[in-house]
Amino acid sequence: MADDDRINRRGFLSIVTAAIGGLITAGLAIPAVAYIIGPALRSDKTGEWIRLGSTAKVELKTPTLFKATVERQTGWIVNEEELSVYVLTEDGRNYIAMSNVCTHLGCRVRWISEQDQFFCPCHNGIFDKEGKVISGPPPRPLDRFEVRVEDDQVEIFGG
Amino acid sequence: MVAQLGNWLDERFGWRRVWELIFLRKIPKVNWLYTLGSATLFVAILQIVTGILLTIYYVPTPDHAYDSVQYISTQIPAGWLIRGLHHWGASAMVVLTLVHMLRVIFYGSYKYPREVTWLTGVLLLLVVTGFGFTGYLLPWDQKAYWATTVGTRIASVAPVVGEWILRVMRGGQELTAVTLARFFGVHVWVLPAALLLLVFIHMYLIVRIGISAVPKREE
Repeated sequence: MADDDRINRRGFLSIVTAAIGGLITAGLAIPAVAYIIGPALRSDKTGEWIRLGSTAKVELKTPTLFKATVERQTGWIVNEEELSVYVLTEDGRNYIAMSNVCTHLGCRVRWISEQDQFFCPCHNGIFDKEGKVISGPPPRPLDRFEVRVEDDQVEIFGG
Repeated sequence: MVAQLGNWLDERFGWRRVWELIFLRKIPKVNWLYTLGSATLFVAILQIVTGILLTIYYVPTPDHAYDSVQYISTQIPAGWLIRGLHHWGASAMVVLTLVHMLRVIFYGSYKYPREVTWLTGVLLLLVVTGFGFTGYLLPWDQKAYWATTVGTRIASVAPVVGEWILRVMRGGQELTAVTLARFFGVHVWVLPAALLLLVFIHMYLIVRIGISAVPKREE
């Protein structure tokens, strides 16, 4: 700086150089951050109606196991996953669909018809036929899916 | 406060002296062609940054390479930009390195005392070519596959050792997963290490000796 407040040549060029450098850095840094956190921001909830099978297959008052394969995409890899769902109806009109995944630590529960309850072999979790916890460590009832009946086919909403 | 911290650090690091030596050098009156080396360095830094970003998603195996590149280009925010910069930056590297070399030849800047600077520059040109050759295979599409098939085939016509060079480059007789993996390894580890070392020597010599002036008519 000279005696007055006017900016000198060297000072001006320093500022211009720093400004251009800053612009280039920001122009690269902002897309870079978006690029890195992009997949984390993506919503996992891309559900769709999954067809399980005919309503005629659902036994009255007993949870019936249905299996469906769903395509699940993680990054660039598409996997086929098998989904197991217990469907229960008391009157043949209203259906509930429960996941067979134990709410404790994710083992698969199975229906024991003699005892009229779901049993999880990992830590002896026991659920009643509507999925409510009877005993054992599970912290909440079995997860339920939204159900609808379309053309006499049971469908659940999942993904 | 910031100035105090700066002084405190400078007392220990002496970075102001280093800064002055590098950036406040006296330079002769030269023209814009003398900025080509700096331009090459700038693009090289850009290639390092975008290249590191690409490795976050890229997977160098035959069953994932193509899909992961497509994933980068179409699914990741700004993925097209990062990959595009790396793609075009690669061509820019080759062009800039060559034009920089021509400038050095035509202005006679390779002469005493800058012979070693020139030699490291020649090695850097080879490294840049190596980057281009290995990087070309990584997208694992038809163009990449056949270009590398042809490229490695060219090496095999060398007398006596040709076939052996081809086998070493491909990691076997055929172009396979082994080839892709080793090209990736060379592209992201071997060549960057060589590049950084050579650039460091190249820059050190430029700072130490200073850049050459434009030759005068009577010289």
